[in-house]
Amino acid sequence: MKKLINDPNRVVTEMLEGMAVTNPNIIYHKDFEVIARKNKPKKVGIVSGGGSGHEPAHGGYVGIGMLDAAVAGNVFASPSPDRIIKGIKEAHRGKGVLLVIKNYSGDIMNFEMAKELAEMEGVSVRSVIVKDDVAVPESTYSTGRRGIAGTIFVHKIAGAKAEEGGTLEEVLTVAQKAADNVRSMGMAMSSCILPGVGKPGFVLGENEIEIGMGIHGEPGIEKTNVKTAKEIVNILCNKILSDMDYINSEVALIINGLGATPAMELYIIAKEVDDFLKAKNVTPYKYFVGNFMTSLEMAGCSISLLKLDAELKRLLDAPCNTIGLKVGD
Amino acid sequence: MIEIKINLNSKDYMEYLSKAAAVINGHKDYITKLDAETGDGDHWVNLNMGFEKLLEQKELLEVMSLSDMFKKIAVILMSTIGGSSGVLYGSAYLKVSQVIAGEDVITAALLKDILAAKLEGIMERGNAKPGFKTMIDPLYRAHEYMIEAFHNNSSDEEILLAMKEGAAYGMNETAQMKAIRGRACYRSDKGVGKLDPGAVTMYYQLAALVEYIMEHS
Repeated sequence: MKKLINDPNRVVTEMLEGMAVTNPNIIYHKDFEVIARKNKPKKVGIVSGGGSGHEPAHGGYVGIGMLDAAVAGNVFASPSPDRIIKGIKEAHRGKGVLLVIKNYSGDIMNFEMAKELAEMEGVSVRSVIVKDDVAVPESTYSTGRRGIAGTIFVHKIAGAKAEEGGTLEEVLTVAQKAADNVRSMGMAMSSCILPGVGKPGFVLGENEIEIGMGIHGEPGIEKTNVKTAKEIVNILCNKILSDMDYINSEVALIINGLGATPAMELYIIAKEVDDFLKAKNVTPYKYFVGNFMTSLEMAGCSISLLKLDAELKRLLDAPCNTIGLKVGD
Repeated sequence: MIEIKINLNSKDYMEYLSKAAAVINGHKDYITKLDAETGDGDHWVNLNMGFEKLLEQKELLEVMSLSDMFKKIAVILMSTIGGSSGVLYGSAYLKVSQVIAGEDVITAALLKDILAAKLEGIMERGNAKPGFKTMIDPLYRAHEYMIEAFHNNSSDEEILLAMKEGAAYGMNETAQMKAIRGRACYRSDKGVGKLDPGAVTMYYQLAALVEYIMEHS
């Protein structure tokens, strides 16, 4: 294992310390692995979190126009309820708190338990669950679709609505609308190594890629041979468009790198996505290209499409200032 | 022959947990390998950390009332184990602390209720049922076999043996199940053919309880 670390057991703490020293607008609560906004206006609080290893998610999205607090778990493991309650309390300014949860059984259980405990202490808490990954079939029986990079859109939309003074119910409604209208899919070219484990959980061969792989290395739809950017975009976008009707709509896009993919390749993917969508009468309105929801040093990408209406467009364009995402006035 | 009686106070329960912790600690490689095959390989590390933390707090815990002790165990396991297992163990012990309020000793009937409370806590929190290839399966069968023994007016010893037999049966039947919860459910084979590591560590705890009582009656 080759990693730029000091101690495998301290990667989460040291990473969050690094975020805090480099961003004067956030504070790190060490015993709880919580990153919170320093200046918190009286508004609905937005809290997200989950396992570490997906940076800049989620500590990198704390700031004006997005999250008020982010709660980190160990690498790829949900934070426990006591940490999440700390995040809720940090974000609470008397107007209630919205939790943005990615759809994994561990995250759901820990966030819901924290929600119940915080409500017993008198904080109004609502939650929205993001399940944007079309690679996994939706199911009411099993946990169902995973939450991946599309979650960033939900942070952005909910954060903007809270910033402009929306009530908890209004923020919940628009966050749910964003979650309902976002679809994503990814692919991987190489595995990742958990610092505490020291070796990859799976191996892809020299000429092998995996379509639909999850952000913890969970299996996708199929292993196949290396393909061109155009072919990859065709596979991912066709699957996304077959899941939701985007024809004649405007969309916002995240072209997301999983950690080890060069920006060069992400822009090649972006151009292919643009060509693909225009040919299908889908109109790209705004692109975000970069590493937004990573999987340690995994190579690969994911594509997320958010179907827009006037309200979502306005909230998407509202300013935000965080480590991971900046939108200007 | 000495008659075996189920009769545990807080101190006894902490002694039992020391025994369970030692069993878990001794199976690092087996559990980690099992988990790496179907999950992400961190189950043993996290569970072991939780039990080590309990032992560090042993002196504090063993002088508490049963109900307070179980509540404190819930909080420690929840925050130390983390992930899915932490919150599930936490929910299980919180439910037990409610069921046991006001009681000073765990009898056979109360032990059956404790297993039922753990089951309820885990099933509610995890929105899961027996048959999902999880830690629920050995607990469910242990409880089921115990109820059967109660119907037959069995002795405490027979009740304990039934509990252990049920736990083993429940653990072993996870091998043939398709995972509906946890990371293994994302695999195309759903982990079929492999034991669920969470079910194995739950079996260790149930078996250790039976053995502890047998040895100390």
